[in-house]
Amino acid sequence: MSVELGHYLAVSGIVFGIGVAVALSKRNAIAVLMGVELMLNAVNLTLLSFSRFSTAFGPDDEPLTGHVFVVFVLTVAAAEAAVALAMAVLVYRRRETVDLDRINLLRW
Amino acid sequence: MFLPDIPEAAVWAIYFAPLASFLLIVGFLWRRPLEAGRLTIFAIGLSWVLALWALDTSIGLDGEPAAFEPHAWFTLFDLDISFGIRLDGLSAVMLFVVTSVSLLVQVYSTGYMHGDTGYSRYFAFMSLFTMSMLGLVMASSLLQLFIHWELVGLTSYLLIGFWFHRPSAAAAAKKAFIVTRFGDFGFLVAVVLIWVKTGGVFDIAEINELAAGLSAALLTGFTLGILSGAVGKSAQFPLHFWLPDAMEGPTPVSSLVHSATMVAAGVYLLARFFPAIEAAPGGVHTTIAYIGGFTAIFAASMGIVMTDIKRVLAYSTISQLGYMVMAIGLGGYVAAIFHLFTHAFFKSLLFQGSGSVNHATGTFDMRLMGGLRHSMPITFWTFVVGSLSLAGIFPLAGFWSKDEVLLDAWHEDKILFAVGVAVAFMTALYMFRAIFMTFFGEYRGGEPAESHGDAEAHDEHHAGPHESPASMWAPLVILSIPAIFIGLVAFLDFGVLIEGAIPEELRHFEGVHVDGVVLVASTVAALGGIGAAAAIYFAGQPSPDVLRQALGPLHRLVERKYYVDEVAEDGAVRGFLYNGAGRAAAAFDRVVVDGVVNGVGMATRTLGDGLRRVQTGQMQAYTSLYLVGVVVAVVVLFAVSGDVLER
Repeated sequence: MSVELGHYLAVSGIVFGIGVAVALSKRNAIAVLMGVELMLNAVNLTLLSFSRFSTAFGPDDEPLTGHVFVVFVLTVAAAEAAVALAMAVLVYRRRETVDLDRINLLRW
Repeated sequence: MFLPDIPEAAVWAIYFAPLASFLLIVGFLWRRPLEAGRLTIFAIGLSWVLALWALDTSIGLDGEPAAFEPHAWFTLFDLDISFGIRLDGLSAVMLFVVTSVSLLVQVYSTGYMHGDTGYSRYFAFMSLFTMSMLGLVMASSLLQLFIHWELVGLTSYLLIGFWFHRPSAAAAAKKAFIVTRFGDFGFLVAVVLIWVKTGGVFDIAEINELAAGLSAALLTGFTLGILSGAVGKSAQFPLHFWLPDAMEGPTPVSSLVHSATMVAAGVYLLARFFPAIEAAPGGVHTTIAYIGGFTAIFAASMGIVMTDIKRVLAYSTISQLGYMVMAIGLGGYVAAIFHLFTHAFFKSLLFQGSGSVNHATGTFDMRLMGGLRHSMPITFWTFVVGSLSLAGIFPLAGFWSKDEVLLDAWHEDKILFAVGVAVAFMTALYMFRAIFMTFFGEYRGGEPAESHGDAEAHDEHHAGPHESPASMWAPLVILSIPAIFIGLVAFLDFGVLIEGAIPEELRHFEGVHVDGVVLVASTVAALGGIGAAAAIYFAGQPSPDVLRQALGPLHRLVERKYYVDEVAEDGAVRGFLYNGAGRAAAAFDRVVVDGVVNGVGMATRTLGDGLRRVQTGQMQAYTSLYLVGVVVAVVVLFAVSGDVLER
């Protein structure tokens, strides 16, 4: 049995699902960030799979669009992680907690 | 006739001279009263000279309209509004009347209003009034006429309430404004009706031409609307009751606005639309004639019992306007304008005479006068001339015009003729009652102590009454001349001049007739009235008190003005307007209008109040909703177009 596009997508879907579950259910901001990273990487996997299995330019001519996209996503994700972690540190210094349920100043 | 035809610019100058005077007084002469008075006299003098030229031109044209083109004013969608001058026999005569009387009244005012704190304001308003009245008279378009009609109403309000610190004057001004507004409403309906049905024909001459082709119902509606405006402005029954109260204004105002010019505007309006009225169904004519006839006798009866000399004259004015309206209704177009023309002079004279008497005695109450013929000979004799003219004694001005009206009544409607003769009797009676009470007998002290210092008594209290200053008696003397002689214009193609304003087929004035029956009836009635007045108020046989006792409730009914004021004020105004319509309108405003406004506000607020609860500050809650949203969107997308993947 060879590994087809469907398998990649299934893995990607599962990882994305885990990411969503973590991001929505964890109270710890750091854990939520980890969930978000999982979701991003699941998407990266999808992009690469589609790119690898694409036949848009012929059977042996793999388009690089997906790869380029993934590089961008990685870059942005790294920046996002840096900012988000910095914020988490700052919030912790001020509030002595990273519990998202208690970080709710922007409300009615 | 004697001069070259007047250019249009000069006719406009008749109108703009008083307007300029008004603006200059308001702008520069507010604190320089003497200059304000002189400027007004100068401006109206200029108008008068130009009006004479216009009259001369119109006589040269046999009263046919001068060929002045209307000017475009503005265009609103497909509605072209224009303005222009209509100079024909009718408007030329009116221009002459208005400027002449106004000029003399301004001269008189410099004496009468001397030392009043509102002197500049007075002349500013008088200039504005004269301008409005001239604009009304020369208007070529119905809309232009209506604007000046309202301006005249406004200035009348300002002048009646000139002494606004007196509550009675303020109330009278308000009353005059509101009561005439009822009539104006009908006029406005007529304007809108003609606008809607003809697609924006506002030119008066065109309306008159179109009239014959309009449906009977439309024409009836239009002419009754015009009549309604005239009834309000000319104080005809049942909207007559504002005019006696309007006597609260300064006497020169009464002399100009409420006897000679503004109140005649209603009659002028009817005359202006005479061709349309003639084309209207017969019922309209009868309505107009009987409103006029009834008003004439109704007002005359009240004139007999009033003790205030100005109110006697006010009821007399209503009564004489009734004559004119009656004449229009009977098809006596020339007679109506002729009577308007002569009446303007002798009634203005009489009002100025009453002002002169007031100037001397400090009161208008005839019970406090008496014996003034010795101390005020000029006022006395001019007042007698005016009264004889009004009573219609041969050969004074009033005789000719009143006989023309009665002659039309004699030919058209015998009932109205009888009414007219009765009114002639009553006219002579109340005028000579006023003369005997004011100028004969013993002087009864004048101004009552408690009203001293009232605004109308400007000069210091004096031992006895004396003749008024020259600025006041000179206009009286000058006005006596037309009051005696102006009726003779009837022999000078006056009819031709006036009839030039209406189409040829309606002209049927054949010069002055003296019909034996009419002549005898009116003269006997007038002399009888004078005799009755002399018997009761001079000889005292029977004495007024005995008569009052004998008449009892009837006298009381008339003295209380038939309770019209009570019915109008308590019934119509308080009962219906304040408590009925006013309250309903207030309730509508409160419940519906305010309800909608407040409802929209409340709904928005409540909605926002509910929606803001969604914003919990819980970041994960937002994300969850977002996820749900994405899932729903994807599902919907697949449901709507399931072939997304296949492509």
